[in-house]
Amino acid sequence: MAFDVDKYTATSVSVRWDDLDFEQFREMPLPEYSLRTLRYMTDVEYHTVCYTRDLLTTPSHKEKDVSAFMTMWNREEFWHGEALAALLGVHGITVDYDELKANRLKLGWKDRLDPIKQSVAGKIVGMDFVAVHMAWGAANEWSAITAYNRMAELEENPTLAELLRRIAKQEARHVAFYTSQARDRLAKSRKAQVIARFALNNFWAPVGSSIMEKSEVVHVMNHLMSGEEGRKAARKIDDHIAGLPGMQGLTIVQDSLDSLGIAA
Amino acid sequence: MTMNDETIAATDRSAHFDVRDFARTARGNHRATLQLGEYNAKPLPADSLRLVRYLGQLESATMQHLRNVLVTATHKDARVTAFLVTWAFEKFWLADALDAVLEANGVAGLEEESSDKRRHALSEAGERRGPIRRAISAIIIGTPIVAVHMTVGLIDEWITRTAYKRLAETSGSVALTSTIDMVLDVKRRHSLFFDDESRRRLSGSAQAARLTRRALSGAAWPIGAIDRSDDDRSFFEQFTFGGSEGRARAAAIGSAVAALPGIGDQVAATLTARLSR
Repeated sequence: MAFDVDKYTATSVSVRWDDLDFEQFREMPLPEYSLRTLRYMTDVEYHTVCYTRDLLTTPSHKEKDVSAFMTMWNREEFWHGEALAALLGVHGITVDYDELKANRLKLGWKDRLDPIKQSVAGKIVGMDFVAVHMAWGAANEWSAITAYNRMAELEENPTLAELLRRIAKQEARHVAFYTSQARDRLAKSRKAQVIARFALNNFWAPVGSSIMEKSEVVHVMNHLMSGEEGRKAARKIDDHIAGLPGMQGLTIVQDSLDSLGIAA
Repeated sequence: MTMNDETIAATDRSAHFDVRDFARTARGNHRATLQLGEYNAKPLPADSLRLVRYLGQLESATMQHLRNVLVTATHKDARVTAFLVTWAFEKFWLADALDAVLEANGVAGLEEESSDKRRHALSEAGERRGPIRRAISAIIIGTPIVAVHMTVGLIDEWITRTAYKRLAETSGSVALTSTIDMVLDVKRRHSLFFDDESRRRLSGSAQAARLTRRALSGAAWPIGAIDRSDDDRSFFEQFTFGGSEGRARAAAIGSAVAALPGIGDQVAATLTARLSR
């Protein structure tokens, strides 16, 4: 089904948490390892705008629907960051803009060259590259939903589960946008399929890998994606990705877990 | 002419701009407040409609602008990016409001691409750079580029605010005047942020001031004009800064630019001349 951008923009809201009882966590805080995972998620959400930067350097920014979606998407993800930061806040962990800035400054050369690489690639393959971004975005958003759902399952705290459910619900609309875009564009171009397959197979890594220390990526993947249930969730993401035109048989999430040494 | 209103009012910088509060109270869909029915009885004159479309196209071009800004070190500053996310959201809905005005007047909306030629002024060559060249030069420049972006944002606010006011004055429409009041009210906070950031960064770094002087000398105004047709741009300049009163409006912006820390009269004079060319 085609994604209705007008309906999406008209109904896009910042996620709410003011009605949730975060104060309970002062008495019964979440465990250390969960807070570490939540901190990772917070950084990733706040960082979304930087990922937009990579998208924007390619031809996609000229398309009105894509621009409209990205405007709202950015804002929703920013608010996910704010909500998670508020939750960390009651645990005495402050995430302020200065600290986020310090993290971003650590990224160095790789990060500086990224937009150039992306843009060069975008120029070379033109509109087909938009399809690659859409497939990439879909993989990321599926991963995000899975991560939030896994966190809710593992923690068994109804307040946390409700917050994560609200965030995941918004991520589901992002998935709908990315998959509908990816499906259409991939279906139209065999070249786009080949490039997208190549890019996902060779360069995709769990969301946050490019902005967080490897130790943090390993921690989060161990926490959320290890063991039988974790692998089952990973397989589900892979099945979704493999369902996109030309992506049959891809197992990029399971492959990345293997290469990070996450126990099945 | 003195700028005796809030157009270029010095900001009260005793209160540091609260980005979280701005994000929390961002203003979205304005369609219910636009009094669109009024246009049935009293459609806007052609010039007003053309300016509404032009301004709406500029408001809607945030993603193009973000592209140029985010390939530089500006994307590292989490406070600035948090602001820009909400800024883009608010501008999206300002563009939507202007699109609704065009629709209510039964004319082509913001998507109407002018097929006219772009302007190819040598002085604006830097503005036509793509993201690759911008990213490469930004690697060398580093964080002082943020001052450039904040100052360009501030001056853009001054220029578009002046145009909106002129549009309200000349349209003779109660509905449009009320819509423009709303637009200016939304944009007021954007000006405050840029003002705050620009002055702080310009006074803190001689390199930032030097880079900003250079960028201002080669800028195409307002932001996004580089992608619009030469015809539309000339129309905008004539409408907003034409004639002796228009030149006075441009001069007032020039004075405000000259008063920015480390910018100086020469850069301001170039900018003034370009506005009322």
